[in-house]
Amino acid sequence: MSSTPTAPTAVLLRFERVGKTFTMGEVAVEALRDVSMEIHRGEILAVLGPSGSGKSTILNIAGGLDTATTGEIWFREHRLSDFSPAELTCYRRDTVGFVFQFYNLVANLTARENVMVSTEISRHPMDPVEALRQVELEERMDHFPAQMSGGEQQRVAIARALAKNPALLLCDEPTGALDFATGKRVLRLLVDLKNRLGTTVIIITHNAALAQAADRIIRLRSGQIVETHVNEAPTPPEEIVW
Amino acid sequence: MSILDRKLRRELTSSLGLLLAIVSIMAVGVACYISMASNYRNLQEAKTRYYAQCRMADFSIELKKAPLADLEDVGELPGVAEIRPRIQFFATVDLDGFARPLNGQVLSLPDRREPVIDDVVLRRGSYFTDRRENEVIVNDAFAAHHRLQPGQWIHLVLNNRRQEMLIVGTAISSEFAYLLGPGAIVPDPEHFGVFYIKNSFAEDAFDFDGAANQVLGRLAPGMGNRTGETLDRAERILAPYGVFSTTPARDQASNRFLSQEIDGLRAFAVVMPAIFLGVAAAVINVLLSRLAEQQRTVVGTLKALGYTNAQVFFHFLKFGLVLGVIGAALGSAMGYGFGGMLTSQYRQFYEFPELNNHFYTDLHLTGLAISLACAALGSLRGARAVLRLKPAEAMRPKPPRIGHSVVLERIGWLWTRLSTGWRMVLRGTLRNRMRTAAGAFAAAMGAAVLTNGFMMAQGTNYLIDFQFEWVQRSDVDLTFKDERGREALWEAQALPGVDLAEPVLNVAGDFRHGPYKKKGGITGLVQDARLTVPRDLEAKPIPIRAVGLTMSRKLAEILHVEQGDVVEFQPTKGLRDWLALPVVEISESYLGTSVYANIEYMSRLLKEEMILSGVQLATDNDPEHRAALYRELKTFPSLEAVNSRADMVANLRETLIQSMYVFILIFILFAGIVFFGSILNASLISLAERRREIATLRVLGYGPWEVGSLLLRESMITTVVGALAGMPLGYGLSWLTAVAYESELFRFPVVATSATWIATGALAVAFGLSAHLFVQWAVHRLDWLEALQAKE
Ligand SMILES: Nc1ncnc2c1ncn2[C@@H]1O[C@H](COP(=O)(O)OP(=O)(O)O)[C@@H](O)[C@H]1O
Ligand SMILES: [Mg+2]
Repeated sequence: MSSTPTAPTAVLLRFERVGKTFTMGEVAVEALRDVSMEIHRGEILAVLGPSGSGKSTILNIAGGLDTATTGEIWFREHRLSDFSPAELTCYRRDTVGFVFQFYNLVANLTARENVMVSTEISRHPMDPVEALRQVELEERMDHFPAQMSGGEQQRVAIARALAKNPALLLCDEPTGALDFATGKRVLRLLVDLKNRLGTTVIIITHNAALAQAADRIIRLRSGQIVETHVNEAPTPPEEIVW
Repeated sequence: MSILDRKLRRELTSSLGLLLAIVSIMAVGVACYISMASNYRNLQEAKTRYYAQCRMADFSIELKKAPLADLEDVGELPGVAEIRPRIQFFATVDLDGFARPLNGQVLSLPDRREPVIDDVVLRRGSYFTDRRENEVIVNDAFAAHHRLQPGQWIHLVLNNRRQEMLIVGTAISSEFAYLLGPGAIVPDPEHFGVFYIKNSFAEDAFDFDGAANQVLGRLAPGMGNRTGETLDRAERILAPYGVFSTTPARDQASNRFLSQEIDGLRAFAVVMPAIFLGVAAAVINVLLSRLAEQQRTVVGTLKALGYTNAQVFFHFLKFGLVLGVIGAALGSAMGYGFGGMLTSQYRQFYEFPELNNHFYTDLHLTGLAISLACAALGSLRGARAVLRLKPAEAMRPKPPRIGHSVVLERIGWLWTRLSTGWRMVLRGTLRNRMRTAAGAFAAAMGAAVLTNGFMMAQGTNYLIDFQFEWVQRSDVDLTFKDERGREALWEAQALPGVDLAEPVLNVAGDFRHGPYKKKGGITGLVQDARLTVPRDLEAKPIPIRAVGLTMSRKLAEILHVEQGDVVEFQPTKGLRDWLALPVVEISESYLGTSVYANIEYMSRLLKEEMILSGVQLATDNDPEHRAALYRELKTFPSLEAVNSRADMVANLRETLIQSMYVFILIFILFAGIVFFGSILNASLISLAERRREIATLRVLGYGPWEVGSLLLRESMITTVVGALAGMPLGYGLSWLTAVAYESELFRFPVVATSATWIATGALAVAFGLSAHLFVQWAVHRLDWLEALQAKE
């Protein structure tokens, strides 16, 4: 790991001219082109853009699920782009929490156990029950995913992600599979988490309305950042209207 | 090719590894069937031909000596078609250049060739000529072993006279298809030979003018089931001449071993394929159920497009049938190959004019049919599940299964101590009942096959140890032609290198206990005999009592005798009074039906001075002493047989253990295929089903080994549970085998030690781990990022 302290302390994650090209046989898709950006500690960053614009690719690279083709990614003083697969595994384990559109809960485990899957391997975990309390699901902690609604499942997924006390919470269209009201509730939860625990959150959405709740908004088109907007006064999620 | 067939072909090629696992299990099943059933036929047909060619006797009667005229009376008995009197003796053979005196059985044949009962098939040289009296035809295996050629001279000690004989030919005969010397259980062509001499020469050499000591007979067609009755009558006619034994073909040693082998093949040709094809059906069941579930939406779409239920059903069934055909084709080829190997294995033990492996078309077709049937059976559940789907319902993704707790969770203190990994594993194992059951079944069958193989080896070893290390402890055994007095013991004691000589008295006779009768004999031993030590079931020595008999369990069973009962015994020689003798001990014995008693007690009963029919020797290990001993034995008077325990044990270990190793290796290989195939199948399916779950774990920071360990734990639970259940099954299988092979000649000990269980368990785990290596490789290769994003 490199230890050159190039990033100012306020910057948690930095992309420097990151490019990502997928090659499938003959065809090469350039998913990201020359993306440079910074994510500050304790902010909510929304990434907006149409489908296929590269949002998930950014998130996957930021979370150590995938590697960039060109450019550098810095996490604090570590150059993420140099990490080996094993180091990336450790990075995900200790630093990053993920929330997905389709929850991705383990069907064979109860809510609490789904949270424990994450706490058992992390270094400074929260008590799983406490994590479920944070998402207001402690009464349902012994239910299996199949016994819960979509919104509840997504809250379990959030509890699972935050239970490891991650420095970075990455949410890929967390409200995509939820109705609008439930989506807003989930968003509220993320804002509360940031306020209460100071977690840095990146939320991907293609819904511009929901992005109003973020501190900063990045707009992507065809793998390039077309706009960065600092939201001086984030809208509380309850007040967002369609 | 229809569109559905094209779909089928792509599906087949896309999961090649998985299919290979299943197909190899089926192939092994079919191969077992083909090879065993082929050999059953090879042997059965070779035997029938051979017996017809040699005009194999239906019975034989051994007696002391009777005039030919009286023997002819046996031929007049109703049901008897034909008889042949024969002169037969045991003799020692003195081969130049071979230190040890060898043992032989001398049999008379007509001076001129004519078709007789128990005829010979000449292999080399010719039948007797008119040129000289002292011509001999040697059995082919012995001749081959000692490189004896027609035209060579050998020395036989006949009736205490050393005779020079010219070898005119070599031959085989159906009564020695399995060539056993007295008391042997495997052929030993190096130390035992059969020597056919002219009848006229035999009459001269043994002072048997116009007499014989054996009657061979053939029964009229359809009289086979009344052999016992006929033999009883014959025995009554011949009683004055001292009948030693009456032997129906059923009890003839060679025929007995051969027939048992053939019966065993027939049984194994059913049991072994059933095991493998059963496992294959279970594994196919798992695969097809998964396929049907995975292809719900495809099925729905097909039905919506207007494909009929039958078309979709057969499409899925075809998947299994294709596997069945491939399995059968591979199995046919493998089975034919294995069959050839098995046949050549049999050629080492059995001698036939010709024993070849044939291609039996009907067996291969049957193999195909069985394989297809089991594949169809395995596919049925999956294919039926497809039928029940309504198109609209089928096109929607399957509703998530209702989560519920499993039995184990009620044991709260245990459950709360388990990590989530274990909880995932246990819930997965207990909820996928069909798959877990199939995996456990496969493991059980694999373990049963392993246990059975190990137990056969241990049983063989135990048998050799028990009979030839613990019961028989002498180094060299001398058998006399006629009983001798005490002086024979002193002579033997004085032989070079002899540390200890103990007398033995064998008395042939009839046992009677109520309605139960049995021909046999009593072996007299000295008090505190050290060279023959009867033992009980736990192999603890049973001392020879001053009075009474120590009877082997098998004979006690035949006579319905228990310890403390009194049996009647009529010696064949001497005064021939019925004696009432108490059975004071029951001993264990895996060979024959021996009965022991104190030698002085025996002599007293026979109203004789101390007499002996043989001497057992313990010798030192000096090879020079041994050579000198053998040299002197070549001229020792009245010697009928010389046996060396070391030679016998060496031969036993060599032949039995070596062929056992071949079998065990095959068993291990087959079991390995079962374990490997079923575990690979279950784990890969589990991996495919849970790609998304695994991807999630990877996102959470689980490494590939940690993810693999979940799958490993799942397969190990099934494997271990199945193997534990399979071990007693294997024990049962060995027990059944032992019961099936049990006879008066031979009983197979059922022995399992902790080594059996440890080896079976260790191999099961080893196969499980090696199968997991592939699974782990698949986990490493899994494109989990893609799995994560795929919208299921
Ligand atoms: N694993 C992959 N292989 C090939 N192409 C990919 C892969 N992942 C994403 N892409 C392509 O990269 C582009 C950006 O994808 P993505 O980041 O998933 O978009 P978004 O999340 O904004 O919808 C798309 O054109 C997509 O087809
Ligand atoms: Mg996306």
